[in-house]
Amino acid sequence: MIAVLTRIFGSENVELAEDTVQDALIEAINHWTYKGIPENPTAWLFKVAKNKALNILNREKYKKQHVSDVAHYLQSEWTADPALNYLFSDQEILDDQLRMMFTCCHPSISSDSQIALTLKTLCGFSIPEIAKAFITAEENINKRLVRARQKIRENKIPFEVPQAKDLEKKLNTVLETIYLLFNEGYSASKGNDLIRYELCEEAIRLAEIIETHPAIQDKSNVYSLLSLMQLNASRFKSRQDNEGNILTMAEQDRSLWDYSLIEKGILNLHKSTVSNHVSVYHILAAISGCHCTASDFDSTDWQTILLLYDQLLQLDPSPLVLLNRSVVLSKVKGPQFALEELKRINTNPSLKSYYLFYSTEAEFYINMEEYDKAISSLKRAIELSHLKAEKSLLQKKLDRLQKKA
Amino acid sequence: MQEFMLFIRTEGDPWQVLSPEQMQLHIQKGANYIGNLMKQGKLKGAQPLDATGTIIGDVGGILKDGPFNETKEVIAGYFHIVANDIEEAKEIAKANPIFEDKLKARIEVRPIRIVEGIND
Repeated sequence: MIAVLTRIFGSENVELAEDTVQDALIEAINHWTYKGIPENPTAWLFKVAKNKALNILNREKYKKQHVSDVAHYLQSEWTADPALNYLFSDQEILDDQLRMMFTCCHPSISSDSQIALTLKTLCGFSIPEIAKAFITAEENINKRLVRARQKIRENKIPFEVPQAKDLEKKLNTVLETIYLLFNEGYSASKGNDLIRYELCEEAIRLAEIIETHPAIQDKSNVYSLLSLMQLNASRFKSRQDNEGNILTMAEQDRSLWDYSLIEKGILNLHKSTVSNHVSVYHILAAISGCHCTASDFDSTDWQTILLLYDQLLQLDPSPLVLLNRSVVLSKVKGPQFALEELKRINTNPSLKSYYLFYSTEAEFYINMEEYDKAISSLKRAIELSHLKAEKSLLQKKLDRLQKKA
Repeated sequence: MQEFMLFIRTEGDPWQVLSPEQMQLHIQKGANYIGNLMKQGKLKGAQPLDATGTIIGDVGGILKDGPFNETKEVIAGYFHIVANDIEEAKEIAKANPIFEDKLKARIEVRPIRIVEGIND
């Protein structure tokens, strides 16, 4: 609804659209508590919003200016009613949601603000909900929203799907934001689990809107991102035990995985390979797919995963990829080999202060039964880790080791 | 693609003959007609004109304004449309529900001339 109203009022008035929807909701709740919920609440709500939109456009302030192409329709006696029905039709709502994504994820807006505005306008999150999801103060979220709206006004960011030449680049920014949104929900176990899973679901829903839209022709990256998110989300509920401790892939109860999501993810992975184009999403999705289709941890196809990591390195030669690759390497070629690999990258400053580097190192030492070295690596990892669940996972491992050593 | 103006020309108030129920139905047909044009991306705008107003003319060197002659044909509104050619524009005009409901009106279909170059 916010997307449709933004189209009517113009992207510079996105806040007016947000407020109008808020007003309509409040009016609905007041009315419904008094008279009971109507048969078709959605239609009722749309009607209230339509009337509010007309009233706003008829205010003197907007009479003089055509705030958007469609505002012109809404100011004529003949066209106002048909135009509102047209604008609130299912297809137009989908179109407007897509336009809204491109407006929210414009490259001139910082990614923090992009995500906040997307959640507010496209996912119906309130400011307190967004603040809760990001574990930050409401005030911060509000600042991000204000900055985003300001950029839209200043840079006259249009409310439209970009034209062919621009489309690919801008679509990639939108996909990046969706992936960031997904990872906000998926990464670690900070904050409320329910809200975090909702972030993942919203990210998937937004990608699905793009996937079904005829305006986007080259969907290779959309399919692969969708596949990646679905495959990862399928494991969401098995990643922690009842006490909130993080479980490794080997410890997870695979019967908790969501196999209908895995099926969807694999299907989208196939669709993404129709073109020859290979992105980071493709490879990550394929890796995730390898894990999801293994019936148990021991039958994981590490050989294939290693090949995929080799490809990933060519696209993204970052230390983090190298670190993850070393884990796979230890499965294929043994921990000794993987340790050598780690030694090659341990000069990297961002890895030096990263707890996963040391916990990975410890894992290799454990496999080689060099417990003293493992203990000192683990201690370093505990020092560097920030999250409670991670710390306790490492601590447990350390306790077990110290008994052995 | 070419732009056209469709002028609705009426004498008096042709809608007067409709009963309230017929009028309701007529409005509904009009809304469907306009909605379809929008969906096809063929409508740029459509507005009714109020029956009041005046006509300015040069009467013996003096600009005078006078009321419309109500019995004469006046423009009751316009549709600004986009069509492939005059044939399609004519078809769009013919589909207007004022004809189906046999109202006393005519539609003038006029291509809009666009700039072909600037003479300086």
